Amino acid sequence: MLSETNSGDTFEQLALPLIPSLYNHAFWLTRDQAEAEDLVQETFSKALRAFGSFQSGTNFKAWTFRILHNTFLTTRTGIAASRTVFLEDHPETLDTSSGPTPEDNLIRLNNQAALHIALEQLLPQLREVLLLCDVEEIKYKDIALILDVPIGTVMSRISRARRTLRQLLQPQLGESL
Amino acid sequence: MSQTPQVIEHLNPDRLNAFIDGELPPTECYGIEQHLTTCHDCTLRVLSATQLKAATARAGHRFAPPPEALARLTAQLRSQSQLQTKPQTQTNPQPQTKIPTRIYSIRPAAWAALAAAILLTISLPSWRQLNRTNTLAAELLDQHLATLSSAATPQVISTDRHTVKPWFQGRLPFSFNLPDVAALPPDTTLKGADLTYLNGQPAALLLFTIHKHEVSIFLTQRSTTPNLSTLPGSRAGFTIHTATTPDLRIVAVSDVNPADLDNLLAALVQTQNPA
Ligand SMILES: [Zn+2]
Repeated sequence: MLSETNSGDTFEQLALPLIPSLYNHAFWLTRDQAEAEDLVQETFSKALRAFGSFQSGTNFKAWTFRILHNTFLTTRTGIAASRTVFLEDHPETLDTSSGPTPEDNLIRLNNQAALHIALEQLLPQLREVLLLCDVEEIKYKDIALILDVPIGTVMSRISRARRTLRQLLQPQLGESL
Repeated sequence: MSQTPQVIEHLNPDRLNAFIDGELPPTECYGIEQHLTTCHDCTLRVLSATQLKAATARAGHRFAPPPEALARLTAQLRSQSQLQTKPQTQTNPQPQTKIPTRIYSIRPAAWAALAAAILLTISLPSWRQLNRTNTLAAELLDQHLATLSSAATPQVISTDRHTVKPWFQGRLPFSFNLPDVAALPPDTTLKGADLTYLNGQPAALLLFTIHKHEVSIFLTQRSTTPNLSTLPGSRAGFTIHTATTPDLRIVAVSDVNPADLDNLLAALVQTQNPA
């Protein structure tokens, strides 16, 4: 099985259903329609050229998202974003008690506008890991490959992203009580 | 609470997140589930984190490609992948679609190593369907969690099927039967009902308990709901099981033992088809 590449599905069959996901993710990264489209186009071009070495039976989605992520890092916006100082790739040592209050559970988090605002306020590195995990449902080990960081970093970024998101949502949660 | 030497500590944030993301090995999940049966604080934290995850999943699906962009991307993908699969000949015209001019060389060996390191998690052709059913699973779970909070009161509070069933008449574009108490599995109680929406369609939400575990049952009209056969069987520690009758789709969500949940589903299916 490992010696055969793309024996079953063609690149087109695999990639077409990913367009909405890749575009959504590209838009979150670039915040610009034209840039997002270019990013997806370039991802497809690169992925297609490398497809001969993609092994069927492995995770095509994670493979494609890795190409998208790396392509983004070579763009102007991506270079700027990667310069953002990011100090927290260490295990959490502080503030483990800031869990939700029971009141949170009385509220359904269905306020999309508040969530959009909160997601936009997250640091880009925290937002991306959360989008890959919660929106794209990619496993930690594949996220680690996409972002090229250790799995422990994925874990602590997810913790930190959710804690920050919750803090950002706290005013809305309070109001709707 | 009496402490035993086996008692596990409260969940730390990283483990809690890994738990709701389905990233922990089954043995560790079992330990956590045991802890949750006795620890109110951790249970609330897990419920809250699961709600936040479901809400993030929905909020994150935010930017759909505009129709023109979708058409351009699709056309580019088609023309490029056809060029790639056909042997190049001199008569091949240049593709008309926009193709980035920058060329990056990628060592095939690097990709092969990466690809080999990534294991198959989900069958590939079903991504589109999967994304839709994942959103639906998030919606189901979110609604079930909402019923668990003490603030949520069903609109019909009754254990009596003769009260519950007529309440839905005129409120739903379909009807259904409810089993009487004797036909329910042991230690199963109807607590109440609510009108809800699932996937944009009106649905009946029936609230049961089985051995003190809360169970949400969603009934929708089969002709208007998408095929739910690819719904995940479980999510964040909750079981999601589906049954169908000629007219209805019935989805059950609970943290009760799956076999007990299936017994209730079977009783509900049975009562829709009285012999
Ligand atoms: Zn605890």
